[in-house]
Amino acid sequence: MCTEDLAANMALPLRRCCMRTLGTNYCASLLNVPCCPDAGRSAFVATVPVLSGHRLMNTNSSRKCGSLSRCSLRLPRSVPNACHYSAVHSDAKVKDPFTLAQKDLKNLYDDIKKELFVSTAELKSLCHYYFDGKGKAFRPMIVVLMARACNLHSNRDGDLLPAQRSIAMISEMIHTASLVHDDIIDGSDTRRGKKTINEVWGERKAVLAGDFILSAASMALARIGNNAVVTVLSQVIEDLVRGEFMQLGSKENENERFKHYLEKTFKKTASLIANSCKAVSILVNPEPEVHEIAYQYGRNVGIAFQLVDDMLDFTSYANQLGKPSAADLRLGLATGPVLFACRQFPELHAMIMRRFSLNGDVDRAWRYVLQSDGVEQTNYLAQRYCQEAIRQISKLHPSAEREALIRLTELVLTRNK
Amino acid sequence: MALLLFRVALPPLGRVARRTLSLFSHPSPSDWSKVVSDAEKIVGYPTSFMSLRCLLSDELSHVAMHVRRLAGTNHPLLNTARGFVQDSRNNLQTRGLVVLLMSKAAGPSGASTCFPQQDMVSGIYPSQRSLAEITELIHTAFLVHRGIVDLKDWSSSDGPLKDMQFGNKMAVLSGDFLLANACTGLAQLNNTKVVELISSAIGDLVQGIYCESSSAAEESSVTEDTTMDSWEERTFLSHGALLAKSCKAAMELANHNAEAQGLAFLYGKHMSLAHKINSDLQPFVKGSASDLMTFSLNCAPVVFHRQLVGSERWVHQLQQARSTGEHTDYTQLWKAIKADEGVSSTVELCRYHGNKALSAIKWFPPSDARSALENIASAVTKL
Repeated sequence: MCTEDLAANMALPLRRCCMRTLGTNYCASLLNVPCCPDAGRSAFVATVPVLSGHRLMNTNSSRKCGSLSRCSLRLPRSVPNACHYSAVHSDAKVKDPFTLAQKDLKNLYDDIKKELFVSTAELKSLCHYYFDGKGKAFRPMIVVLMARACNLHSNRDGDLLPAQRSIAMISEMIHTASLVHDDIIDGSDTRRGKKTINEVWGERKAVLAGDFILSAASMALARIGNNAVVTVLSQVIEDLVRGEFMQLGSKENENERFKHYLEKTFKKTASLIANSCKAVSILVNPEPEVHEIAYQYGRNVGIAFQLVDDMLDFTSYANQLGKPSAADLRLGLATGPVLFACRQFPELHAMIMRRFSLNGDVDRAWRYVLQSDGVEQTNYLAQRYCQEAIRQISKLHPSAEREALIRLTELVLTRNK
Repeated sequence: MALLLFRVALPPLGRVARRTLSLFSHPSPSDWSKVVSDAEKIVGYPTSFMSLRCLLSDELSHVAMHVRRLAGTNHPLLNTARGFVQDSRNNLQTRGLVVLLMSKAAGPSGASTCFPQQDMVSGIYPSQRSLAEITELIHTAFLVHRGIVDLKDWSSSDGPLKDMQFGNKMAVLSGDFLLANACTGLAQLNNTKVVELISSAIGDLVQGIYCESSSAAEESSVTEDTTMDSWEERTFLSHGALLAKSCKAAMELANHNAEAQGLAFLYGKHMSLAHKINSDLQPFVKGSASDLMTFSLNCAPVVFHRQLVGSERWVHQLQQARSTGEHTDYTQLWKAIKADEGVSSTVELCRYHGNKALSAIKWFPPSDARSALENIASAVTKL
């Protein structure tokens, strides 16, 4: 029995179970994917009404689902197989996305530093601080793979256009600028194993560094000379700040809250990936259908990425003492796992509303989440988003890059840091 | 934001005053107001509609609601908010106004066939009006971002640390929100040259503000040898680049040639510099030593004075002013500066830049808009 058959067999009960738990409507509608980018903003509206909690309160099925979901954590390969994309990779070995993208990402950080041209030595060191080559370059990687997949789809050679590589750089620059500002907003003192800019140089200078990186990204974007591309990526900048504002408020109503969370997740994380993917497709192909495929792949992978991130906040261990970080809870944020857990433990509702501000709230909420199936449910939701991403990307002509983008969805689901 | 923040209870002016952010304030309000209000009539409708979309957004209402919490603290965001209320009539919209006047003075381009003339309102293209708004948005965003405090310098007299953190959070977010709106507004202009130009102005602004804030911190040491040349260079970045580049971009939007773009740039640059020098001069030309509060050691007259008397004598004067106690005796310093040529040389420099602005605008055909720009350039040299 080949691995794929095995995975498919394993996947079956999992899906059946979760469907029963959550209700078919629920699952389908969370993935209710719009066909134009504007609808993307309202798409989440459609997901709300079906999120009725009573199904989840059925302890019998949630227990079953829980155990099977855990099983799925060990078998992420079941995800792509649950989807119907044309089998191309049956013989060829799918290359690791990181390896495949490497040639295009060589010197990426050096090239970004060249864009950050600044006369003041100190400001320069602030701006270069996170472009030290130690980041994962996750966004640029998706961008270059998508670019090559779109180029081949458009009957050209796969080679990256210079403007497409610029988009890869710009995506990392916008991401970094937003990290610098996020760290001030959250009062964080470490990131990627080093002190944050605000911790080293203070908040006044840190905010300017973020602004400078953004202005350099915006200049690089303008130099591409394509108005559509400028519009698409400017939208990202607006989404990022609107997402940050959304994080300040919480919703009283449970269904509203979930919708709010997914919309925030789109704006804060997925918009950048979705629109960068769209931008590279615009540069090579005039067809809106192709732009939409690129956009939807990025949007779905982006949301899945963030869901996994929110899940890891509860499951990964920050230090040797084995104490979980629960950083989001400490910031007063109720992410996917908490929102799911709240259906089983209504006690969480009050804590969510006061943003875990009372003594002991963080610990109690954390325990509730782990007692509930919140983590499994979040993971399951991330899988569904990845399946949708695969469904979208499979509409492109087959290529090594397309297969790598499919493989990437598995890596998103199985990453542990 | 002005309307919304008005509801915030404002604390009495204390040591906060030192941190007050200077808007486009002008020393002689009566003349200046007249120049500005006359000019506003020329451009049809004032730029105050500009950010209405922004100001009425959920995001900024949210900020306004929460800024109340800062009342009683020393967070500069409060003062920035106060500035919106008190100075919005005369100051806040001036940059946008200059962009509109410049657009009107240049008129429609002969080369442009893609813009029908009837699209113009009061002789200004809609895209140029958007640009004027964007210029104001960017300026305001940096007023807000300048008002972020280093929490390491926090002392209990500022107010609770939690509130200061919160003030920073609000300031980062609202500045970012204004910048993001400027970005999407720029994209809608459908002109990548303009996007590049204005983005570079944002970069200039950041570099200028960065230098200012780091040299302010080192004010006490006065080891660096600032010359007037480097002062002008830095001041152009922090106070002139945005207006100069916006004026240039307004020409580009109407398809005017490189020459017109260059002249518009020069007007914006020299007018801004004259304006900044004028406000730096105020403590030295108005009033007497007795009602003098304090002045920045990086202001134009002081830098000029330092350059003229040499750093050795300047350090000596500074030490004398400080020998009396912990604090610098500004009255003594003021007298020392007044005794030399620094102030009169600075007055000369102000006139020089005003004249440069006037001669740039002379190349445009005579019109109400051109006259208004001339009046503005003359007003900023009046001391």
